[in-house]
Amino acid sequence: MTKILLLMFKATVVNIQIFALTLLFALPLGFIVAKGRMSRIRIVRSLVNIYIQIMRGTPLILQLIAVYFAPYYIFGVSYNRFTAVIIAFVINYAAYFAEIYRSGLQAIDRGQYEAGKVLGFTKAYTFFHIILPQVFKIILPALAGEVITLVKDTALAQTIGVAELFRVAQNAASREFSTMPIFVAGIFFFVMNWVVSKFFSYIEHKMDYYQG
Amino acid sequence: MSETLIKAENISKSFGDLKVLCDISFTLERGQVLSILGPSGSGKSTLLRIVTQLETADRGTISFSGETLFRDNGEKAVYASGQTARKIGLKTGLVFQNFNLFPHFTVLRNITEAQVAVLKRDKKEAEDRAYALLKKLALEDKAKAYPCQLSGGQKQRVSIARALAMDPEVLFFDEPTSALDPELTREVLNVIRQLSEEKMTMAVVTHEMEFAKAISDHAIFMEGGYIIEEGDRDTIFVNPEKERTRQFIHSMS
Repeated sequence: MTKILLLMFKATVVNIQIFALTLLFALPLGFIVAKGRMSRIRIVRSLVNIYIQIMRGTPLILQLIAVYFAPYYIFGVSYNRFTAVIIAFVINYAAYFAEIYRSGLQAIDRGQYEAGKVLGFTKAYTFFHIILPQVFKIILPALAGEVITLVKDTALAQTIGVAELFRVAQNAASREFSTMPIFVAGIFFFVMNWVVSKFFSYIEHKMDYYQG
Repeated sequence: MSETLIKAENISKSFGDLKVLCDISFTLERGQVLSILGPSGSGKSTLLRIVTQLETADRGTISFSGETLFRDNGEKAVYASGQTARKIGLKTGLVFQNFNLFPHFTVLRNITEAQVAVLKRDKKEAEDRAYALLKKLALEDKAKAYPCQLSGGQKQRVSIARALAMDPEVLFFDEPTSALDPELTREVLNVIRQLSEEKMTMAVVTHEMEFAKAISDHAIFMEGGYIIEEGDRDTIFVNPEKERTRQFIHSMS
């Protein structure tokens, strides 16, 4: 059992890597997508909307397969599976984050922009100092939900053969003729998400000093 | 000798097919108070928003102490460079109907933020100015409060302090008491009255007739995007020429 646990700990590092890299790229990318979704240029708005609809309307597991195998079938090239996982997760999560950002941006009263303008702030200053901090507070609960889903979604990386925690647990289960490793993997995920939740409630608490 | 601070000529503005302002002209002398009266939808707020650059005019000319913000070229209003527009913008302050305080900043920071970021005052200087204004508006004890902890009247007084801290040459009020209870209205009107006694140049859009009559040197009455009548205080409030003006002032008093 100790040996299995050790293997599972090692595999968890893969899940944490997927988690961290996805957030690292998808959080800023989602912002660009949100801007595109709210663009004044109609064609940009429509294209971005199609992208978001596809990402949210099809299973992530299918997107993983497409991202990894499409280059092989089209160009005959294959590449690193882990890279494929990161690409698929980033473009998927950027779409979800974009919609969360959009909901936050649209919740801000026009008057906040106008007050900034009348006081002589530049557009950038108003955005970063007045709008963004308020958006952040508004979207925090939705963001927390999405990040918790991401932790669980990292298990899907096994679809294209990346040895993450859940795959390692399943392998161990079939080797040992026991479902125990799978339950243990469940506990692993639960603990990771417990940390994520704690983190978000801490931040939410920090943002409690004012009401919008 | 009075000095003309704002000179506006033939300002027009449409939103699509809807003409909201037609040939509006007015002047504002330094140290004077102008009331802009009229029923809802008469274009008062749009006029204020054009003067404070939240909206652009289609036609017309306007200058601030001789500096032109936009000039009519016979076809449309042509705006000055961004730099000039910004410079003129700093001469004007605006107090909104619904305050538009920054909810994530304390009262103090609401008042200091633009002083530091825009006027490049150092923090200490900005805070001294803020405290002086808060004292004047009887809000000293609220410096560390957040806007959500204030009453409507207090919020509006903070937003007046925020505007005054920028040392504008002229202050505009867009229905400053329309979102307030009658009781809270008084405390805000008293502040504006105090400013008028100090000879602050102001233009006020309001439905408070008694108040407007008390503080105004000049008034214009608008309806449907047109100026129906304009004149000094007595002309408009006591002896209006036009029946419509009389009717409106009577119905609102």
